[in-house]
Amino acid sequence: MTATTLPEARVAARSARFSDTLASEWAKIFSARSTYVTLLLGLGLSLGMTALVSLAVGSTFEEWTASDQATFEPIMFSLVGIVFGGIVYSVFGVLVGSAEYSSGMIRLTLTATPKRGRVLAAKALLVTVVVGVFSLLSTVGMFFLGQAILGSYDMPTASLSDLDAQRAVFGTGLTGAFFPLIGLSLAFLLRSTAGAITAVLGVLWLPEIFGGLLPNWWRENVLSLLPGPALDSAVIGHIVDSSMYPDPVVGGLMAAGWLVLALGSAFVLLVRRDA
Amino acid sequence: MIEVKDVTKWYGPTKAVDRLSFTVQPGIVTGFLGPNGAGKTTTMRMILGLDHPSSGSVTVHGRDYASLPAPLFEVGALLDAKAIQGGRSARQHLTWVAKAGGISEDRVEQVLEAVGLADVARRKVGGFSLGMSQRLGIATALLGDPPVMLFDEPVNGLDPEGIRWVRRLFRDLAQEGRTILVSSHLMSEMEETAEHVIVIGRGRLIADASIREFTQRNGASHVRVVSPQSEELAPLLRSAGGAVAADDGALVVTGMEAPQVGQIAAEHRIVLHELAPRRVSLEAAFMALTEDSTQFQAAALDSEAIAETARALAAASPGDDSKGS
Repeated sequence: MTATTLPEARVAARSARFSDTLASEWAKIFSARSTYVTLLLGLGLSLGMTALVSLAVGSTFEEWTASDQATFEPIMFSLVGIVFGGIVYSVFGVLVGSAEYSSGMIRLTLTATPKRGRVLAAKALLVTVVVGVFSLLSTVGMFFLGQAILGSYDMPTASLSDLDAQRAVFGTGLTGAFFPLIGLSLAFLLRSTAGAITAVLGVLWLPEIFGGLLPNWWRENVLSLLPGPALDSAVIGHIVDSSMYPDPVVGGLMAAGWLVLALGSAFVLLVRRDA
Repeated sequence: MIEVKDVTKWYGPTKAVDRLSFTVQPGIVTGFLGPNGAGKTTTMRMILGLDHPSSGSVTVHGRDYASLPAPLFEVGALLDAKAIQGGRSARQHLTWVAKAGGISEDRVEQVLEAVGLADVARRKVGGFSLGMSQRLGIATALLGDPPVMLFDEPVNGLDPEGIRWVRRLFRDLAQEGRTILVSSHLMSEMEETAEHVIVIGRGRLIADASIREFTQRNGASHVRVVSPQSEELAPLLRSAGGAVAADDGALVVTGMEAPQVGQIAAEHRIVLHELAPRRVSLEAAFMALTEDSTQFQAAALDSEAIAETARALAAASPGDDSKGS
């Protein structure tokens, strides 16, 4: 049935490079069905929710009070779908790391690439690029879809030539990998899919859920330090007014700091712990 | 060459490996034996840099595994064949591993062919039997054509044809001058494959010897004699220096070889119906050895205890007791 003598390897032995790790992780990501499911679901949910909510609002807009109609803001409204798509993209980020722990395959990965930092760096880079592309597709798509639907109901619309719209659409799109990267870090820290998904959704949602319940002092001094409000202040702080938002520049730097902290601790534990 | 030097590994309060030292030489298959939980897998993980020793050092060709520039070309390993994501095809699985080491996709096809999985290369590995998964794991180890290979319990789940194939593969790989370390909790697996065995129990080294040495040192031999005049024969053998025990109508003689028994019987005109030299199987010797370690007795080995174990085994599985002679 099988030959016992093995042809000699035709490939000459050479040192493994970071580009090899990157190619390996790329092959891994795009041979997993969960990749296609999560990415397409994220895109579909973003566009679908925006379309659904826009249709619902458009068909009832005439019944709104004059003051509600006057404060209607079409840019943020059209981006509502990313709330849902973002959850799925974060799950994707978690799975890129955690699926290897639930199967035990991480040992094979780290045997093939014993320089563990490379594995984390390659995964982080690919999550950034892949989710970046999909979340940008999501925000641009949601914007045009939303404006088209709102316009068809003669509601106020925005144009992408508008600087405010550009900052919100491209800012939200290009930073779409932020929570997925936090999720990836949590996957390496907690080594569990369920744990990391719960944790990343907590980080994503707790400020939103508890923000409204807490006194203003807490919103300004505590919640404003968290990753979500920090990032939001930079990409949508010019449109949305929230007492949780720090100054946009400070917020952007804080968000970057959170990312460094998350990936940094994932790196330290990945290198130190037994696999 | 693999060198394990004075390695101790703690997992919390549990000592999995206890001041273990050995080297694995190239050119032969080395069996790594011990009961389940003896520390074999832990040791292999430390060789691969997956787990860090609490103290001591583990090197491959004099280097830390983690510092090898081209690890897949230096060391091939099969740890847990089932610890892979089931959604990929065999080819996709091998492809990502190959890419991590800068190995071409031609080589993926070669190893698929070599382990007999070429026909199922497109099938999802989640549906593989344990035997097929073992073959896939062996293919993974072969990718970089490395001079050092480790296999943790590779025979589990293989069918008899697969077992024959894998034994021959290991011997062929060793003959090419490679260092081959194969772990198992069954001595019988090693008898026909390994030239050298390292036996551990409770994380400690119990034996590090060639198969021949191991058998001679630990596998006490005895002679089985059946005679209608055994009551006359027994005292004669004892007075000649043998130890005799009755065993289900036969005499089990130790401390004396078969020709001597025959000579004594002939001299006293005693009829023999059966005169059979028996060498204790490696399995029996191994069990006697590791039984000690599992009971945490550090006492020296008692050859009579081994002979006793051997007798019990011989009685339990007739025909199997002359194996390994």
